[in-house]
Parts: sequence; structure tokens; C-alpha cells
Amino acid sequence: MSARNAILARLKSPPPLAAEAAALLDTPERPAVDATNLESEFLARLALPSVNASHDVIASLTDLPAAIARYLHAENEPLTLCCPPDPRLAPCDWSAFTLHANAAPDETATLAIARLGIAETGSLIFETSPTAPMLPNFLTLHHIVLLPVAAIAAHLEDAPLPGPQPRAHYWITGVSGTTDIEGTYVRGAHGPRYLHVILLRGGILPVT
Amino acid sequence: MSDFTTPSFLNRADAALADPILKIAVERTAGTAEAKRAIAIDAFPDFEAARTRAAAIKDHVIAHLGPYLEQFEASAIAAGAQVHWAQTADEACQIVMNICKAAGAKSVARSKSMLGEEIGLPHALEEAGIGRVETDLAEHIIQLADERPSHIIWPAMHKTREQVSALFKAKHRTPHEEETIAAMAQSARRELRAKMLGADVGISGANFLIADTGAVCTVTNEGNAELSLVPPRVHIVTAGIEKIVPSMPHAIPMLRMLARSATGAALTQYTTFYTGPRRSGDRDGPEEMHIVLVDNGRTKMREEGLADMLRCIRCGACMNHCVVFRQIGGHAYGGTYPGPMGAVLTPALDGLASNRDLAHACTLNGKCQEVCPVKIPLPTLLKGWREKSWREGLEPTSMRAGLGLWAWVATRPALYRLGTGLAIRAIRLLGRKGWIASLPLAGGWTRYRDLPKPAAQSFMTQYQREQRK
Repeated sequence: MSARNAILARLKSPPPLAAEAAALLDTPERPAVDATNLESEFLARLALPSVNASHDVIASLTDLPAAIARYLHAENEPLTLCCPPDPRLAPCDWSAFTLHANAAPDETATLAIARLGIAETGSLIFETSPTAPMLPNFLTLHHIVLLPVAAIAAHLEDAPLPGPQPRAHYWITGVSGTTDIEGTYVRGAHGPRYLHVILLRGGILPVT
Repeated sequence: MSDFTTPSFLNRADAALADPILKIAVERTAGTAEAKRAIAIDAFPDFEAARTRAAAIKDHVIAHLGPYLEQFEASAIAAGAQVHWAQTADEACQIVMNICKAAGAKSVARSKSMLGEEIGLPHALEEAGIGRVETDLAEHIIQLADERPSHIIWPAMHKTREQVSALFKAKHRTPHEEETIAAMAQSARRELRAKMLGADVGISGANFLIADTGAVCTVTNEGNAELSLVPPRVHIVTAGIEKIVPSMPHAIPMLRMLARSATGAALTQYTTFYTGPRRSGDRDGPEEMHIVLVDNGRTKMREEGLADMLRCIRCGACMNHCVVFRQIGGHAYGGTYPGPMGAVLTPALDGLASNRDLAHACTLNGKCQEVCPVKIPLPTLLKGWREKSWREGLEPTSMRAGLGLWAWVATRPALYRLGTGLAIRAIRLLGRKGWIASLPLAGGWTRYRDLPKPAAQSFMTQYQREQRK
């Protein structure tokens, strides 16, 4: 008998009832979020020491390059940016920047567009696609994330996508950190040391 | 994988107690973890109801484990992953080695996985001559020190910052200069990044397997899982079969419990669901994804009264709150898993005969069960091992004879009262100022602490005198 059949033979049971599985999700215990004020709820979580992210607000997508330049100047970094090949960024004028699509092993700054922000935790929700690579978001020192205000949802339950899944669906909640030496918190363990969220108030991005 | 290099748990515990640095190191991390968890739980609405829900989700899955595994397998295959099954640790390692060989792998990046430790994957890779890069900072520390994990969340908990500093200075190409923990972490970042990007295969465990989508969920705070698993051409997952949840929405309440119980955070920094290999047009991700579903004693645990233990989500709260673990650290337990959950799991994984002492290394104070996010009755399960050990005749002759004698006397009240009366008088002769510093046959106790001098008369004598008044 194959290992598969041997294991399954010992685990025989009636199939689970869908209603029983669904009932396990009724009214979950979770931190309260003021649904009428998602932006400030989200920003409050972003600022927590455990999340450790900064933020800026822009009125329209064309303000994005200037906002990124402002941030990089303040951080004493050059205007060099790893930028995803996302057509939604076409309206932006990047003439002040040196842009590239593939991240270097010691990449300084990377831009990504989050599909959602989660107010409960200050999480940013991403999926991989041909226009949204994943690796640059982990290699970079400064992770700069564009998030439309309209895309802030209340709870983690709002994050899953229905239907067929992308290769990777990932939640980023703050900067890379470790407590592996004596339980002491250090930021920038392997991934980004800085996370900067740029909230886009107007001009909702078209869906890709 | 038990550690048979030292003779017994008692010897290892003795050595741990005699190590003056170990207790400082364990206390620094476990103490911080305990305090942070308490703050997180206080801030969470109705944590008790959340524990009941988390336990119910796991119980539902364990009751229907077969059908859920088949559903997971079908979903993962539909997403392009290859699914393998292993009944034993050796089978699982063999499957992983075959995949590595077929991929022509010379180096492997590993993202911390306790299942990987349980099946002996580091050793198997070494035997196969495949370079292994541990990417979790703590796993990196213990790889350099050639040691084993001493905690499931903080594998290098037993090391002080001074020890880590000396290790990095001896082994890193460009070590830290400043004596700070931040500078040490940077040294490891420099050392590991190129190795992660150059690996042929990335190997991880799974925090959750999502039955309806075939996704594998990993959580880290460092981001080392993503950096280990996205660049290599092949991603291999080794996961215990109990890691299944029905859907991503079912993983969410579990994730809320896991982070709060482990580190006191509301959520881990990086939570990733991987579904199959790279898609057409994707700019990164592995070309092959393999998932090895490992039994290694879990079906047996389910059949033999340990189904509750299959709820465990490996948060480490039980050991952080265990008075015994806090004294002896993780290595003394000898198995892959230390602390209360390890004392329950190790006899199931490695046999009771060589691990019967673990169930006795417990005061039954119930703290582990109280903090467990999935309500595992750890003290009850430990008592179960004690009873089994007795029934199977594994307890030493002196213990059996002593208890036999006590039982014989205890069922004869007059004789019992006479015996205890004499014993009290004899023991009181050894006391000075209310304490006994040395007691024959109890040297194991009095070597480290004094025994209070007993009262002049037994409770029964005093009680009967009061009744006569």
C-alpha cells in the first residue's frame, strides 16, 4: 500500500458538513474597529511600535513621484526606485528618478501597490501577478507602498480573494524584525527596515 | 529525534541546573515573552471565547482529517503543486532528498520549521552532501554553534548576547564592530543575503495548509521565509498532516491566536499563502512546488487518546509559562519539542521507555493549559503518560517498591498513624531553627533547598485532640 493510502485508511471519516465548517466562523472575536473611520483606525495601527511604519497622504496619483522624492530626500537616499511594471502607474512623471524593474540584492527603495489595507492590524495586502513581483518587496531597505484610502477594510476577514488564487497572497504588517537574541526587538532583520505608506485620497486606481 | 548523546533526562536536567549562564539566557527571553503576551491578551476582546473557537476549528479538522487532506491534495495539484505522502520521518527525508537530487541541488535555504527538525532534515541534508543555509536568525546562530534548537519560537533562547557576539566574530566574514544586538543582527543580514539568493532549493514548513485552495501558509517576523522560498527554482514544503484548516477564513482566527500567544503581537509581520508554482508571466517564484504531507506518528496519536495534542499550533506559550522549562531550558528535554508540549509529544514520537521521565518533570500547576490558545489539557495528557508508564512497568523498581509499600501501609490506618508518628519524631531531630538542611534518602531535594521542619504532631493527632474537647 502506498504511504498515501496507508495514511488515509487510518483517517476514514464521513465528509465534513459545510454548515458545520461555516458555523465555526460565526461572529469571530476580534479587536473592535470603527467602521465609520477606517482611515484613522488604520493609521493608528500603522504607528504602533510593533508595526513601526510611517505615512504620507496624496490627493491624486500624479502627486506620487513628489511624495516618494520627499521621503527619499528625508532619508538621505538617492532618487533611485525599483518600480513594478504596473500600468496603473502610467500617469506618473518619473523624470526625476532612475527607475528599474528588477531589484538588486541590496536594493534601497521599492514601490508596491497594495490591494487592501486592514484597519484591525495595519496590514497591507498584496498578490503576485505579471505586474506585481514579490521579491523586490522583501529585498529592499525602504518599502514604499501606495494604498488608496478607499481600499482600507476593517478586518482580516476582508483580505481573502474568492475563486482561483494567485501564486502568492501575502500580508505585510510592519517592518522586518527579530527578537531572536535575548528577546530584544531589532528592526530590519532580513527584509525592509523601513515601511512608508502613501495614502491616495482621490483618483481611485483603475482595476487591473 | 531524541538526543541520545547524554544518558538521561535527569542527567541533562542536572547539568542545566548547574549552568549559571543558561538560566539568565532563558529568563531574558521567556520573561519578556510572558510579559508581552499578557499585555496582548488583556487588549483582546473575549480571549476565552476565541480559545474555544480555535480549539473547535482544530477539533473539527482532526475529526475529518482524511477528507480534508484529500481535498487539500486535489486543490494543491490543481494549482500545479506536487503532493507527496510520508508515513515516517525517514520516508519524508528520502522524498526531500530525491527532489533535491532531481533538481541537482547543491545548496538549500531553510526557513525555520519544527517539522523539519522533527524528521531530522538538517542531518539528512548533511549526509547527502547538500549545503544548508538556515535563514531564521536564531537557526543561523545554532547552525554556527553546531547545536540544536532549545525553543520552538526562539531556537537560540539558551544563548546570551555575549555568546552570540563571540560566535559571529569567529564565523562571519565581516562581523559587527559595535557590541549591540542591532549590530549583530546586521552582521547576520550581510552574511545570509547572498546565500539565500544563491540557493537551488528553498525548504519550509507550514503553519497552515488551506484545504479548499491548496495554499500553504507561512508566518515569520523576519521575512526570511519569503527570501528563502521565492528566489530558488524549487520550493519544498514539509508539513505535519494536522496543519490543515478548511479555508483561509478559518486560518484567520488561528493566526490571531498564534501571534498573540507566541510573541504578544496582533499579527506576525509577514503572513504568506503560497498556491502552486510560478504562473505564466509571473516575474518571480519557484518553477516547482512540492508539498510533503508527513504523518510520523500523528495518526497513531489520533487513535490512541492524544487527538487533543493534534490541536497544537506551535506557539510556545506553554513553555514560556512553565516553571520547569524556565529552570532547565529546552535542551534538557532531549527531543525536538521542549517544555510541556514536548513532554507530551516526545514519548509519542520517540517512544515512552526512553522518555518516561519527561512526564514527571511537571508540577501539575496547570499554567500551560491556562495559556494554551487551543485549550490542550497538557497536565491531563502528562498524567496519562505517567499512568501508561506505570502500567507498562517502565517505572524503576525503587519507585514501584516504595509506592507499593506506601499503599500497603496506607490501607492500614493504625499502622499508618504509628509509622508517621515515629517518622515525624525522627525527622524533627534533624531540624535546626525550623528547617532541615540535610535528610537521608532525600538528598536530591536538600542539596538545593532546605525542608521545613514538620509540626510536632500529625494533622490526624491534632484533629482527634480537638474533637475530644
